[in-house]
Amino acid sequence: MLTLALAACGKPAEAPPPWKVIDAPTLRALMASDKDLLVINTMSEIECLDHRIPGSQCMACEEIEKDITLLPPDKNRVMVFYCESAGCYRSCRAAGAAVKAGYTQVHVLDRGMPAWKQAGYAMETVERIPRGSIPSVRASALKQMMAERKDLLLVDLRSEQSYREGHIEGAVNKPLYRLSRDYAAIPLDRTLVLLDDRGFRTFLAGSYLEMKGYQVIRLFGGMQAWQEMTAAK
Amino acid sequence: MKITAGNGLYGLPAGLLLFAVFAVLCLPAAAAQECRFCHDEPLYRVDFNRSIHAGNGCTSCHTGITDIEKHRDGKEKPAPVNCGICHEKIAKEYLNNFHYIQEDFRCSDCHRNIHAIQKEPGKNIKLAIIEKCTECHGNADYTASGHGEAILKGNHDAADCSDCHGLHSTQVFHTSLEQYPTEAREFYTQKCKRCHADSVMMARNNLSDRMVAYYEGTYHGKVQELGYPAPVAGCGDCHTKHNILPKEDPRSSIHPANLEANCGRCHSGFHPRFLSYQSHPDYTDRQKYPALYATFLFMGGLLVGTLAFFWFHTILWWRKVYWEHHRMEKEGIVPPSVVATGEGLQQVERFSVKYRIMHVLLVLSFFTLVLTGFPLKYAGTEWAQTVIRLWGGAHISGLFHRGAALVLIVGMAYVAWESLKFLFPRGTGKQGWLGRLLGPDSLFPNLKDLQDLKGMFRWFFNRGEAPKFDRWTYWEKFDFLAVFWGMFAIGGSGILLWKPEWSSWLVPGWVLNIAALVHSEEALLAALFIFTIHFFNTHFIPNKFPMDRLIFTGTYRLEELKEQRPLEYERLVAEGRLEGMKREHPSIPLKLISATFGLGSLLLGLFLTVLILWSLLFA
Repeated sequence: MLTLALAACGKPAEAPPPWKVIDAPTLRALMASDKDLLVINTMSEIECLDHRIPGSQCMACEEIEKDITLLPPDKNRVMVFYCESAGCYRSCRAAGAAVKAGYTQVHVLDRGMPAWKQAGYAMETVERIPRGSIPSVRASALKQMMAERKDLLLVDLRSEQSYREGHIEGAVNKPLYRLSRDYAAIPLDRTLVLLDDRGFRTFLAGSYLEMKGYQVIRLFGGMQAWQEMTAAK
Repeated sequence: MKITAGNGLYGLPAGLLLFAVFAVLCLPAAAAQECRFCHDEPLYRVDFNRSIHAGNGCTSCHTGITDIEKHRDGKEKPAPVNCGICHEKIAKEYLNNFHYIQEDFRCSDCHRNIHAIQKEPGKNIKLAIIEKCTECHGNADYTASGHGEAILKGNHDAADCSDCHGLHSTQVFHTSLEQYPTEAREFYTQKCKRCHADSVMMARNNLSDRMVAYYEGTYHGKVQELGYPAPVAGCGDCHTKHNILPKEDPRSSIHPANLEANCGRCHSGFHPRFLSYQSHPDYTDRQKYPALYATFLFMGGLLVGTLAFFWFHTILWWRKVYWEHHRMEKEGIVPPSVVATGEGLQQVERFSVKYRIMHVLLVLSFFTLVLTGFPLKYAGTEWAQTVIRLWGGAHISGLFHRGAALVLIVGMAYVAWESLKFLFPRGTGKQGWLGRLLGPDSLFPNLKDLQDLKGMFRWFFNRGEAPKFDRWTYWEKFDFLAVFWGMFAIGGSGILLWKPEWSSWLVPGWVLNIAALVHSEEALLAALFIFTIHFFNTHFIPNKFPMDRLIFTGTYRLEELKEQRPLEYERLVAEGRLEGMKREHPSIPLKLISATFGLGSLLLGLFLTVLILWSLLFA
């Protein structure tokens, strides 16, 4: 269990986390036996409605951190947080906020939704986003494009805090967890270049925006690739 | 029991069965007609009927509609399409597909024209795959590469995206993820090897199929074969992932102008001459690698010449001793050393404690070097991979290899110091050093050794008596000096290879190729020499079989001294030194420890010989 707990949050040197880590078969068994079980998807609303573990609630990690009252008032309610990364970064952050607020039955799904999928368990779709052909560009190509094209609008989908800590000059911040509410403010006459942390989340966000009429490309490897490029130079 | 007409009990199930078969056969068609009543676009009415899935009805894929009225009213929706009902194998593979795991891609996200998809005989599948993948993935690097260009020109051998990444089994190896660097390197290196070692495919494309074998002959290739996590370069580390171009192309990662940056991604602190190291050297190519070729010939000649001479010597010796043993046994003659009594039983020292300890250290370090080095030499064999697993991986094995090498280097330095002390005893200056060098107590060869060698061969062929030896025989001197040569060859090359980047400040990179060859071949010579020739000369000769414990206990009988080294005995008596060399009989614990360690070493050596010879001949 200790190994599971450490692996789940990707911090092997630290002490065991103050929540329980459960694997996919255990969660499935819990879902069958406990009708009050609260399974929480900590990705953005767009991602959560597109695909989630059946019966999950959509509550983005950032929103739980901002407003803990989104969680039910019963502090002894059994709840399981998960996200879409095997490293469980977002689910651990949300679980941490819940524990801090006094919730006693907090769990994190080990290796998140990837583990659930790899176990062959069913998924649920509420509003499926048609996958588009969203081209990706490497950091060096983007830099060249930025110098040559004036119609590009860089849209940084990371959290407000990550954006404040550093962003590409000229990029506007539209955090992915709020994108379904904020996208309408983005001008339609520009080609959007979507940026995220590591390049994993821009595809679905791009498909969503394409569905809404935008022309979109995305940065391959996200801001990590951009920073590696600038560091190398 | 027969089913007869009029038997309602038997007729009912038969009727139901017939109805069920009829329903299953006809329902899809019937359902399709009903579906097209509303879904009447040309795609469903025309294109679908021409598609590869035309034999299926709508409800074959769109299951879960129980009431058409409810469905029409929007109250009942079909269940998600599960292509895995028919495409079971692909569905199973797809569970681990990166696109499913990370982006939740479903079948129709790539196979968008699923209702109109047709068989297209003669279609360039590779081109279609590239077109599909590059709808989302940037293609600038790949299309500029040799693979991409070849496919665009109609080559069906060149790698498309799926040849390396898999089609429905695309792995969760992503450059941004950084969670699977070891697995990714292993996975993609195997993918490259699969095609580039295919002799028929390579010949068809005017490429060498030996590049993989040459790579596997290098340190990079051998550690890769043993299994990571030791960080060594796989194919993609040098040739990059997509921008794979010939080295003449300035955009290529292996173009001379780009090599420093390319090698510098793993190696640091090297001199620019480090870049002349050859990653795929062919030792047998005289034109391209003359120095390597010459080294290969020299080391091969040294190996074959040394082993051939001494194995011949050993066989003749064994025959002579065995036949002699047989004759004496037949005639009831017992060697004096066996039936020694009285003074003959007196133990005499041959090896002092410090030399015995040094030999034990030599044995331990040598076995460690063999057990860590030879698995690397024969990295492709099962036994090598098992041994490396027992060490805890190639990295730990490498640490033990270097530790044992240090022990050996310190030991050799001490022997060199002792040799100097022997040649120049305190207070004598340089006086008499040549006499001591060529004298009977020296391990340096002299004229008598040549005479003894001739004498032994005469004796082997029953043409004379066995020569009388002094303190050291010529084969013992060879053993001793061979270690010095071995240390020069293996130790020198090993030190260069220990930290190749630093070595490049002394020698160019191509010398490291030579060092690797010398290190490997000299190690083979050393191991085979010790495990066959030294073992036989010292332990397996019939009158000492199965082992001579002398090197561990340090003493033997006076009668044995007289029999084996008569000239030394005569000198010791004449010089009055014999009394000072008499010792107590070795204790039981010492004898037991000596026998256990000695026999264990001999058995391990023989076992390793079998593995080495098997690998040499068959692997």
